[in-house]
Order: sequence, then C-alpha cells, then structure tokens
Amino acid sequence: MRIRLNGSMISVAIAAAAVGAAVSMSVTQTAGQASRPARVEGKPSFSGIWQANNEAHWDLQAHEARPGAVTQPGAYPFAYAQVPAAPVVALGAAGGVPGSLGVVEGDGQIPYTPDALAIKKENADHWIDRDPELKCYLPGIPRAMYMPYPFQITQSTNKVHMAYAFATTARTIHLDTVDGPPDYTWMGHSVGRWEGDTLVVDVTNFNGKTWFDRAGNFHSDGLHLVERFTLMTPDVIRYEVTIEDPRVFTRPWRIAMPLYRRMEPNMQLLEYRCTEFVEEFLYGNLRTRPLVTRWEGETMTVDITRKVPPGDRFYEWFRK
Amino acid sequence: MTRLFTSLGVAAVIAAVIVSVKLAPVTVAGQAPPRTAWGEPDLQGIWTNEFDVPLQRAARYGNRELLTDEEQAQLDQQRAALLGRDRRVERGTELDVAGAYNAVFTSMKRTGRRTSLIVDPPDGRIPPTTPEARQRAAADREFRLALLRSTDTCKNKSTACAGGTYDPTPSPRRAEVLSRYNTARMNRHNGPEDGSLGDRCMSGGIPEFGTGFGGSFRRIVQTPGGISIFYDVGQGQGFQRTIVMNGSPHLPSNVRQWFGDSRGRWEGDTLVIDVTNFSPKTDFMGSRENLHLVERWTRTGPNTLEYGVMIEDPTVWTRPWTVKEEFTKQNEKENRIYYEPRCHEGNYGFPALLLAARLAEKAHAERRGSHPATKDNATDFVGVEENPLGR
Repeated sequence: MRIRLNGSMISVAIAAAAVGAAVSMSVTQTAGQASRPARVEGKPSFSGIWQANNEAHWDLQAHEARPGAVTQPGAYPFAYAQVPAAPVVALGAAGGVPGSLGVVEGDGQIPYTPDALAIKKENADHWIDRDPELKCYLPGIPRAMYMPYPFQITQSTNKVHMAYAFATTARTIHLDTVDGPPDYTWMGHSVGRWEGDTLVVDVTNFNGKTWFDRAGNFHSDGLHLVERFTLMTPDVIRYEVTIEDPRVFTRPWRIAMPLYRRMEPNMQLLEYRCTEFVEEFLYGNLRTRPLVTRWEGETMTVDITRKVPPGDRFYEWFRK
Repeated sequence: MTRLFTSLGVAAVIAAVIVSVKLAPVTVAGQAPPRTAWGEPDLQGIWTNEFDVPLQRAARYGNRELLTDEEQAQLDQQRAALLGRDRRVERGTELDVAGAYNAVFTSMKRTGRRTSLIVDPPDGRIPPTTPEARQRAAADREFRLALLRSTDTCKNKSTACAGGTYDPTPSPRRAEVLSRYNTARMNRHNGPEDGSLGDRCMSGGIPEFGTGFGGSFRRIVQTPGGISIFYDVGQGQGFQRTIVMNGSPHLPSNVRQWFGDSRGRWEGDTLVIDVTNFSPKTDFMGSRENLHLVERWTRTGPNTLEYGVMIEDPTVWTRPWTVKEEFTKQNEKENRIYYEPRCHEGNYGFPALLLAARLAEKAHAERRGSHPATKDNATDFVGVEENPLGR
C-alpha cells in the first residue's frame, strides 16, 4: 500500500523541492488519504485521520468484561453476577462492556484523594445521569482522543488543529505565542512545543465538567495535562498524557496508548452531531405526549420510563 | 433569545483593500500573497468581515457594486447616530418588553465599500424564487400564522402577525404534523422538534457569510494536502469543516450532513470548494438537501482574504447567485475568537420553553390559566430601528 508513488505525487515532490530547503519532503503514500509529506517544516507530520482502538473510553483502568453498561443484581448477591439493567437489556450482547488491561501506567491505580474516590464511585453508580458524554456535551481532553470516533489532525507550522467527529468539535494546539482564553473551557487551552520529534502539549483552563471515561473517572477545574505525541511508525502515534490535579489526585499519573491511522481508501471525517440525537434523552420528559417508553421484545419487555433522580437540581427545578 | 452578543472590542482598523469589480480577485500591487512553507497559497489565520455590508443591494444603487468615499463616510455618519434599538411595538405588551435590546447587544461595524454582498445577479438582489418554493414558503407562513392567531400579537396587529388575522378560537392546526422538518420557531412547543434550530443549538451552517448581528469568525489551518476550517458563529453554535483535497468524488447521495460534503482543489492560487450532500434538516433561505455551493477562497494581501460563494438550488431559485466579501486577518496572539461551540452545554432556555408550555397546559386544564394558544412564545423580536444600509 505504502510508497506507491504516482505521477502527480512525484510532481508534488518536485514542486516542493523547488520551494527550497525549508521543506524536506519524503512522501509517504497512505491509502485513502492524500499523499502527505512525512515531515512538515522539518517536524514529523501527524496530519491525517486517527482513532484509538481500545477500551479506554469505557474505563481507563483494567477491568473485566461485564454484561451491561448498567447492571442490576440478578439471582445472586455477588457483584460478579449482576445482570443487565433495563436501559440496556434490549441491546443483548451489544449492550455489554468489553474487558481491558487498562491504559494507566505503573501500578494501574488512579491516585484519588479519599473524598474524590467516593465521588468517582458515586459517578459510576449514577453513570446514565451524570456522564457528560451521554448528554453530547463537549468531551474534553484527553477523553476526545480515545473515544470510539475518528478525529483529524491538520498540522501546520504554527498551529496543529484537531477536529473530532464526536459533537463536531475541535481544538487548536498553538505552537506560537497566544493569550489564554478569557474563561474556563470544555476542551482546554492547548499550547504545544517540539522536543525533538515529539510534540509536547500543555493543556490548561479546563472547567470541572468533563470526565475521562464512562466509569466515572473525573477531575476538577484544576486539571493540567502534558500530552506527548510521538510517531512509532508513519501510521501509529504513541500518545501519552501526564495528568495532574492536586484537588482530586494525590500525585500526577500517566496514561499511554497507540493511536492508529484510519487506512480505508475512502476515509474522511463524517459528522456525529449528537446534539440532535440526545434531545429525547434530555427533553423527552417535557413532551406534551411522551413517546413510547416500553419495548416489547420476543423474550422480554423493557420499560425505560425515566425517574427523576432525587436531588438533581436541574430536574428538581423542572418538577416544580 | 437567540440574539448574538457581539463585542468586537477595539478593532484594529486596517485599510480595506480595494478590490476590482471584476470577478477575478486582485492582489495588492507588488506584493505576492503569502505562501505556506510547502508552496501553497497561505489562507491561514482567523478571518472576519470587519465591515457592515447588507446582503441585498438597495434599489437606489442599481447595478453599482461599490460606494464612493463620500457615500461611505455619509452612511457611517448617519449610522453612528443610531442606537441600534429594537423597533417598539404596542406599548404595554409582552412583545414590546421582549424586544428591549439596543446597541450594547447589536454592535455596529463600519460601513463597507460594497453596496451589497451579492455580486451576481448584477442588481445585487437574490434572484426570484421558483413557484414551488413560493408555494412552500406561503404554506409554511400560513401554518405559523395559524398558531399565532389567538394571541395579542395578532390582536394588536403586530408586524409579527403580518398577513394573518386575529381569531380568539385556537386554531385546529395546533395538532398538525408538518410536511417538512421544522427549522424555525413556532408558537407551539409540544416537543424538541417544534423548536427552531437556533433554540436547539443547531443553527450553525454554511454558507456562512456573517450577516445579521455582528458576523462570524473562521480559523483556517493548512497542512500539505489538507485544510481545516473552524467557524465561530451564533452564540456558541460554531462547527468544523475538514476539506477533502484528494480529488475523490462526493459522498454517496444517501449520506447527508448538516455541513454538507466539502471537496476542495486549487485553481491557480484560489481554493475552490464544492459543497453538496446537505441534510434535509438544514435550511438556507428555503434551500435544503438540493443546495449546491461553490466557494472560492483567495488570499489577496497580507491581511486580506476574498471569499466568494456561488449558491445554487434549482428547486428554490430561478438562477444561481453569488456572494462576495473581503475578510480581514485578526490578531493571532490575542486569539480573540473564543470558538468553543458550547451552546448546547448551557442550553437551559430550550427545556424551559418546553416546561413552560407543559405548565401552561396544566394550569389551563385546572382552570387556573388562559388557553396556551393565547400566549405568544414565538415572537421575541420584530426588527431593529431603520438602518440606512437596510438588511
């Protein structure tokens, strides 16, 4: 597949060579994406469409497979013998959670303070009501990097732009000097620099509203990330993040994973504009006539009438 | 509710590059437009239209595309005296209070050189619509007026009820399911689909040329063989476009997108982007899935970028039309656009509209309140003070 030079690519290379010594171009042909120089302005090129291929979006930490994204006690009182809960039971095997050895480096532990650990557990128990992903809120960094959706990197000399399919959002990594944003952000304020062939990105100015995964792992607005992007091969990036948030974690910790180039010949970034998709989830209870909330399948009946979670200020306000 | 709060701050006023009336962009004499390190024209940066130009041309300018210096100065002077207030309506009505905006919210930019953004047809006006488009628009208007007919808005003969009549009996059409996907606000909030795309945080779209309240920003980033454009529009309703530059054909026709399918190529120093595959849920002046755009982006100088877009939909307009405008580069360091599109995350207004409708129904059923159809929850604004530029 690779290094399949055709006439037009050769002419690109010749034209580029004519531009001058500033550009060193070793053209790499990647199936499905325009031929791209392996280097931009002397730096490795990360341009292209990428996607993680792991289970980190379910849980950063090692976990065994379980039968449903939400479960309930079955015949036994044991945690390991839970069965799928109503919201996912109709999905059968597609509603379960795959196991994983996790992406947290070292001992695999996330060093929560005792208070924060209690919140994390509560988050996991109330996943459907609390996870911002389910509401189609901006996913934040690093979560956007390993959600099960592709993203596209457009690498220039002073900016590296990352466009994400999920929620059609993006972030710009500034390699030049810019003032910070005037407010906290969902996607963070990213400032990058090169350390040899590694792109190092410092991310700050987060609000405390995004999560790391679907397991309730969270942070505060004190989150500070240092991301490192290194090409392992032309089609694989080693992605590492050092995560620091003294209000939530007792020490900095790290995650690492490969990001893979999407190699399909016709690959392009398509929209996943979920704002529209989650209206029923968010506002369905406010319809004049609620839509059907009962599913009668061949072997089971599921009623997913939503109960307002007690103590949720947003819903309490609606209930008045 | 969906008014754009724009604070442009102290804009660095950069002399507008005088662009010829010919279609071909003219670059500043003696200055080659900047190029990227890999030799492509450099379109990168944050761009906006720093000047106010109406979409359509006032009849008094005929086929004239540009204002004279005197005309421009005079218009600036006239407009400087405007307070940008919303038009007043019947005193003592909710509608009058709902439109209590002024220049603090609707900042005004300097008068631009162009008499209109539309450069083709030569009269600077949107071409006539087709009979079927007119029929669709009339049917839509009729439905929306039916939902308003029992409200004070119609009783007081407000502009918002123009073409309709007052009738205290709620219209049976309140139970109607629309024949096309709704995109605009109506006086009914039975569920999310009755909301406008703006109220649902889904109004961002293309073509985007920043008319209306304050304009729009776009950041362009290039890489060899790729271009990304990120828009900041409409109170956090920004969106991204990644332009496919590998010469491949458009998406299959069953794959439709809110922002279409953008495929670009270089024609000399101009980036030409062909956009199709729009979703039937989008609406640009009545044009939906058949909308076809051809955009032309040309760097004309160190701080200027010319943007042109040919707009075509034979089911809506009797001929294609073209908009052209000149963008000015914005300060990179100040990073002045704050382009995180987080309208949806803070959208308490829309569920509140739905909830208020449910509460009104409940109150009416319990004989505590008037019929919900007698309240106007759709009209918030009937236009700003007369502006000599028109709209």
